[in-house]
Amino acid sequence: MRDTKIVVVDDSPFSVAMISKILGEKGFEVIGSANSLSEAVEAVSTLKPDLVTMDMTMPDADGLECTKAIREVDPNLKVIVISSMMDEEIMRKAKKEKVSGYIQKPVDGDELSLLIRRIMADEELFVELEQLYFTAFKEALTDTYNKFFKSVPDYKNKKTSNDEYSSRGISVVMGIIGKYSGRMILDMSIHSTKGIASGLLKKDDLAEEYVINVMGEMANIIAGNACSMLNKKNEIWGLRVAPPTVVYGESITISKLKLDTVTSVEADTILGEIYLNVGFNRSECNE
Amino acid sequence: MNKEIITAFSNAVLNVMPMLGISNVEFVSEKKYNNQIDSTGVIGIIGIIGELTGNVFFSMSEDCAKKIASYMMGGMEVAEFDELAQSAISELSNMLAANASILLSETGKTIDISTPTLINGAFTVSSSFSEVVCLEMLAENMPFHIYLSIKEK
Repeated sequence: MRDTKIVVVDDSPFSVAMISKILGEKGFEVIGSANSLSEAVEAVSTLKPDLVTMDMTMPDADGLECTKAIREVDPNLKVIVISSMMDEEIMRKAKKEKVSGYIQKPVDGDELSLLIRRIMADEELFVELEQLYFTAFKEALTDTYNKFFKSVPDYKNKKTSNDEYSSRGISVVMGIIGKYSGRMILDMSIHSTKGIASGLLKKDDLAEEYVINVMGEMANIIAGNACSMLNKKNEIWGLRVAPPTVVYGESITISKLKLDTVTSVEADTILGEIYLNVGFNRSECNE
Repeated sequence: MNKEIITAFSNAVLNVMPMLGISNVEFVSEKKYNNQIDSTGVIGIIGIIGELTGNVFFSMSEDCAKKIASYMMGGMEVAEFDELAQSAISELSNMLAANASILLSETGKTIDISTPTLINGAFTVSSSFSEVVCLEMLAENMPFHIYLSIKEK
């Protein structure tokens, strides 16, 4: 694990000194400290830490207001609340601000060190997934298509924005569950779907039911293969897929989703266009 | 389908809705259904893996979705089923499935849930398993249906 750079935010110089000493002894790099909201914003902007320890009381704001302010500078910044007060109310509010963890003062060095290591390991694990997942899903689509039709799709319009979209006619939704949860959507026109189903079953004029089943199974194969590929790279992800749900009809609008990472692409194939959209959520603080 | 699964999901609605300010919620009936579910406007889909596997569908009209979203946003008027309202219903689906998973874990069945996918329009949902149970509920006197397409391992 690379060095974790930390800024300590606390209005008490004594606490700053204590926490910094403990962190130093545990092998973390304390790159700065702040005694107020404005100093914290300044420190995060200039020093770019990976993680901030946050006191709950500051002269010009409380710890959660301060967390909000520094997250405006760096939305992915990890924050640990270190406070002498630790009741349900504070925990609930802290959770709402997506704080990564809480430690009560007086600080136990081992507990703090373990918490930081766990948070940073989780972060690296998500970053690793973020770098790999889309290639795996695309590869799974290419392989599946190639095995079925001896032809490879051409990919275009790769996007990483999280937008609402209208279906081309048939959408297959696959829930993904593991260390991180997510979902895959495979979308295409009725015409393409019929072409694919007829091609696979070597039969024209297939009943709608067959066409739906074929699409569900194809999505299942693609998502399952992609998750296996990812699990081979890092077994901790433990990704598995829920059974496919096929959605069809005259008007299908899929909402913009609350996902921390999402990538979509259009695949041009001999049987028409296939739209692939995959996204994952970073696990939320649930400690 | 196991009674515990049905109870967990109907209780999740009865637990969660009042927390959002919707006190007028009732369980009407439980029906066997087929695997073709016609949308009445909005459907939230959540995948399930663990000791149970399958999908759960939360189905409602757009009016019902807007009404629930309005409660979730502190009584704010929701005229259109816009991005904000959609994200509220997506969150609702997540909360209901998460609550049901807690209730199920208390009966010894551990499940994990996927992120929700929210769809609106005129469409049909085809679930993987042929046997589906529909829990007919009412939220603010408007139909709110849960379709369970779930198998035990």
